[in-house]
Amino acid sequence: MLFGRDKKNPIKIADKGVIEWKYTTCGYCSTGCSIEVGLNDKGEAVASRGVGGADVNRGKLCLKGIFEHELFRLPGRGKTPLMRDKHYDPFRKTGWDEALDKVASEIKRIQAQHGRDSFAIVSTGQIMTEEFYTLGKLARGVIGTNNYDGNTTLCMASAVSGYKRSFGSDGPPGCYDDFEHTECLLAIGSNLPEQHPIIFWRLRLALEKRKFPIIVIDPRVTMFAQMADIHLPITPGTDLVLLNSLAHVILEEGLEDRAYIEAHTSNYDEFSKLVKQYDPLTASRICGIDEDTIRNVARTYAKAGAAMTIWTMGINQSTHGSDGVVGINNLNLITGNIGKPGGTSLSITGQSNAMGTREWSSCSGLPGYRALESEQDRSDIAQFWGIDPEFFPKKRGLFQTDIFPAIEAGRIKGLWLIATNPMTSMTNTSRIRKILEKLDFLVVQDAYEDVETNEYSHVYLPAAVWAEKEGCFTNTERRVNLTRNVIKPNADSKSDLWIFSQMAKRFEQGQKMHFPETAEAVFEELRTLSKGRMLDYSGMSYDKIEQQRGIQWPCTDGNETGTPRLYSDGKFQHADGKAKLIPLPFVDNNERPDKEYPFWLNSGRVVEHFHTRTRTGKVGNINKFSPTPYMEMNPDAARELGIEHGNYARLTSRRGDAVVMVQLTQRVPPDMVFIPFHYHECVNRLALGLLDPHSRQPAFKQCAVHIAPATDQQSAAIRNKAARAY
Amino acid sequence: MFKVRQDEPDYAFIPEVEVPDVNRYGKKIQLVDQHDDLAGKSLNINGDPSISDSPNRYKQHGFYFNADNCISCHACESACSEKNDLPPHLAFRSVGYVEGGTYPNYARLNISMACNHCDDPVCLKGCPTRAYTKFAEYGAVLQDPDICFGCGYCTWVCPYNAPQLDTTKGHVQKCNMCVDRLEVGLKPACASACLAGALDFGVIETTPENRDQLKTQIPGFPDPEISHPNIRFQQTKSLPREMTRPDNIPVRYERDEQGQNGFNTKVRGNGGKPEWNLGKLRSREDPLVIFTLITQTVVGAFLILYLGPKFGLGELTVGAHPVLYPSLLLALLGIQTFALALSTMHLGKPHRFYRAFNNLRYSPVSREIAGIAVFYNLLGVYTLLSALPVLFGWQPSSLINGLLSIVGWCAVIAGPVALYFMYRIYRIKARPFWNHWQVLTAFYGNMLALGGMIVLLVYGAVLVSQTHSITHLGSSLSALIATGLLIEMIGLFFHARDLEHQGGEAAASHYRQRTTYGKTYIARNIGLALTLAATLLLAVSGLDGIAGYTGWVLAGMLMTAVAVVGRSLFYVLVIPTTMPGAFFWHNPGFQEHARETGLAEMAQVGVVTDKH
Repeated sequence: MLFGRDKKNPIKIADKGVIEWKYTTCGYCSTGCSIEVGLNDKGEAVASRGVGGADVNRGKLCLKGIFEHELFRLPGRGKTPLMRDKHYDPFRKTGWDEALDKVASEIKRIQAQHGRDSFAIVSTGQIMTEEFYTLGKLARGVIGTNNYDGNTTLCMASAVSGYKRSFGSDGPPGCYDDFEHTECLLAIGSNLPEQHPIIFWRLRLALEKRKFPIIVIDPRVTMFAQMADIHLPITPGTDLVLLNSLAHVILEEGLEDRAYIEAHTSNYDEFSKLVKQYDPLTASRICGIDEDTIRNVARTYAKAGAAMTIWTMGINQSTHGSDGVVGINNLNLITGNIGKPGGTSLSITGQSNAMGTREWSSCSGLPGYRALESEQDRSDIAQFWGIDPEFFPKKRGLFQTDIFPAIEAGRIKGLWLIATNPMTSMTNTSRIRKILEKLDFLVVQDAYEDVETNEYSHVYLPAAVWAEKEGCFTNTERRVNLTRNVIKPNADSKSDLWIFSQMAKRFEQGQKMHFPETAEAVFEELRTLSKGRMLDYSGMSYDKIEQQRGIQWPCTDGNETGTPRLYSDGKFQHADGKAKLIPLPFVDNNERPDKEYPFWLNSGRVVEHFHTRTRTGKVGNINKFSPTPYMEMNPDAARELGIEHGNYARLTSRRGDAVVMVQLTQRVPPDMVFIPFHYHECVNRLALGLLDPHSRQPAFKQCAVHIAPATDQQSAAIRNKAARAY
Repeated sequence: MFKVRQDEPDYAFIPEVEVPDVNRYGKKIQLVDQHDDLAGKSLNINGDPSISDSPNRYKQHGFYFNADNCISCHACESACSEKNDLPPHLAFRSVGYVEGGTYPNYARLNISMACNHCDDPVCLKGCPTRAYTKFAEYGAVLQDPDICFGCGYCTWVCPYNAPQLDTTKGHVQKCNMCVDRLEVGLKPACASACLAGALDFGVIETTPENRDQLKTQIPGFPDPEISHPNIRFQQTKSLPREMTRPDNIPVRYERDEQGQNGFNTKVRGNGGKPEWNLGKLRSREDPLVIFTLITQTVVGAFLILYLGPKFGLGELTVGAHPVLYPSLLLALLGIQTFALALSTMHLGKPHRFYRAFNNLRYSPVSREIAGIAVFYNLLGVYTLLSALPVLFGWQPSSLINGLLSIVGWCAVIAGPVALYFMYRIYRIKARPFWNHWQVLTAFYGNMLALGGMIVLLVYGAVLVSQTHSITHLGSSLSALIATGLLIEMIGLFFHARDLEHQGGEAAASHYRQRTTYGKTYIARNIGLALTLAATLLLAVSGLDGIAGYTGWVLAGMLMTAVAVVGRSLFYVLVIPTTMPGAFFWHNPGFQEHARETGLAEMAQVGVVTDKH
């Protein structure tokens, strides 16, 4: 000691007594970090750490992952199935047999009365690939409803749609390693440091080695925008115009990769004809970015040896989200930036297994990127499952966002929700309430019985969460990674896989089919079904995945490792083997600010929360960073309205109102406010959510609101608190 | 030993780099040499006797923060809380920020801060229990919660908000530099967790790879001269001229026009209107309001009782009132006992009160408590000897009188000395509102005024009931009372003037004094002036009897109210030089709101419900 006590007690440092670490993949976002969960001698999960040798996260975790072991014992977990006759009756506890029998008989009753498609299923991006596949098998092969979709329609549908339109198939072509090779990074509507901190760290690692320009397009001055070399504070909802204009400059100045266009793309003439209309001057008047900057960005991007674009919800959640994705693909196709190191269109995905559902859940078709529209695909799967191909519909049914209006219109009578919370996540919450209220029968299957949507359910099925079960997730860069079972499910909750296969047994057709008991056995079916396809899993096994800390598909049988990039050979999935350049005329159909509703309303994610906070809202060490909703508002605008920092304000839109605490900051422009979307009874009470014509994804981020100070701060505070169970 | 994983990534290890001999303050970075008595000992972490052979074990280590890069992802704070198994309301490391500019030319500067393991650890010096130790190993300043009795003084003196008082457990905890990781060559959990290339760790005065600067300050960071903190910064990106905080502290940071020098701390806010906010005068420090006022009153009253007769106040001799004199002494002893009990109960762990004297060498708290203990015991002996002479009747009276005289004079010295130490407690550089000689004038002023008033009121009651005149006593004591009031007023006048002049957190406190508590502040000042006027008027008018006494009672009531309000203001107005908070986390404004509205009842909000 230099100062202080001569006689010292032993230094006490918290020791959680971990005796064993188990391998998992993070269950929050789709970065796909490898996590080891530490168990103490009582078998309790007490610690989490990033796996040092995992290529994705290399020992790091974001704050949500750091506390992921706390997930298992959060309050509000479902303990036993619950049932009631009417949504306004109290729940009574019941056993699994009774609950599953009830669900099966209600499905049969509704389908008998109103037709097969009158019962809808909406799932998630959170459960394991094996579970998605099994659910698809149940929904498509047993129950046979065509109104089956996932909540990925709220986040990734536009990316999927855009990839399909440009390349002929879904599947992000790039990987995180592209940061190490790129010479220019364009980020559109992606707040990487906040949404995907570990991917941001991979970018930071690349930048520490080699500086290259970062261009960020975002109407908010996010941390990413602030650290960018060029920040384009774009007018909300006008990305398409900017993208067209960038293409315009590139073609006009002859900066395109002519050889690549000729060898690997189709439809160039149509495309170039349209972008001619989007000269930088015309574009600047719509998107708010001056023409010189547009030219500078276009030249920087096109002249880079390799350039890549990443995007997230700023593109996807828009009335032209799918077009935005195609616009990005167009940009990368004309500059030859697909399938080469550092050149890619990389959609940064949201949920841990959004990719798994895209690949295997059969939501938009049949497993393994197969389409209902293809006779071959229908007959292959029917044969594999042992059913009549005619049982399948010949066209995909409704998207999630069309299922709710169909309930509203009375065409759908029953709904099964799996690990999704539309009462918070869908736009126009009051409309969603009315819709859920209308259902003859609602099943909510979720790890948390306090999930807000459970307010309207007739049966609640308590599901196991994350590493209480075993299975795979696919991440943003197509990496299939494994979660080992860490501890047994809480109370009497069951894995989603078990619930699906038990449900199948209650249908005649399900009894005839084979539903494997274990996730690993299901994985064998995936391997078989993927063999020789783009998303080839056949070279993977659980042990091999764990050993390599995840494998990127395609990984064909006999191959030791996966494949970092798609389309490196310039061959695409369209019938002609080429990528398609698609002309994208811009139609401005957003609800724009006007005299009555003078502010843009923007929403988005904060780093400490995940989705509707059913998990992060209960982990104190995470939730404390934003425990209650807030709105970022420009101080100059607030001054005129008499709104003060830290006080409550009331927002109204053409849909409803919300009361929210105000944080004044110059991060947002004077005519826009930003509210994180995670909170119940908040921003989505206001949002409009016009649907994208291709992807049916709602435009969460663009609508108009009116703002006034809350006249009674006290009652505003009471109202805010009352809306929060966690 | 901490277990290093086989696949531990390189970034987690402290790099081997060349180290200068001395730091910028001229202090040796090698704290002891290998052959020193202090070297080669086990840190005894959780009872583990092993000794690390880490090559830089005896060099001062510190954090490195690249403010250009921090994205406020909270990974450092979370890794720290996870490793140290902390509840949501505590954090050894916190990220706050300052921001400025105008959209879209907006900049936010995030600051991640924990303990800086200072060269001159003010926490260690301030701690009365000696719960702190600065180790030769890594220069880590560690605190032992098992020694701490939860007075929270370290949380007052630290400019970086590093020590965390856990009111639910009643003790302080803080960053332990992850010495268990250092022993095996790993960086602390926070630095290893950083996702933005912002937080790093190593031997102090060494620049991490790819970094250029070794600055000691960034906007929002307190003056490093207070404690010579072991943290270095990089901050190369241009910042707006003015940066503000998202929390409710009325402070902003302003660069000079040329942008040459650093940022100066200024008051944020203008046009705030004066309010009362009487309810907000209550705080965790309420017991200290009572304790300090009572102690000052008792010291003052004793001085008058003992010295009064020697200066011609015959009314105050034992002979004049043989029952009243010891009764009043007993009453003073009683209320002082009450005050001491109250201040002890204010500790997080009252049963450890005896540890208060552990750090007489450095801690003003130890000295204050020792000073008051001495005075209290002398007062007790003096009271016993005066009140119960019959007990000592078998002794020669000259011995008793001699003893009384020795004890009395000692107490006369001990009382003001104790109050001086009490004043020294508040001379904290990290708390500019307190760091002023006004505190001394307030304490001594209250001693004279409140002490004089209580003697006057007690003796006055007896004199009036015996239909004796109180004018002589009144006019004599009024001189003391008036002097006390006057020096307090002079102190307050200069305090306000100097706060404005000083700027920074001092001026911000004064801004709050004039706005949030503006009406209360003015009322207190008017009250002080009225008390002085009433005192002089009563003394000069010669008003006697019941009328005169009633006048003094009213003046006494006013004086007490003014003193309580004034002392409460003293505690609630202080704005420490701590790091900026965020909009929710470490925002005192939000914490207050969460308590008021009941949001704090949900543990995951991270705000402890108040229990004052």
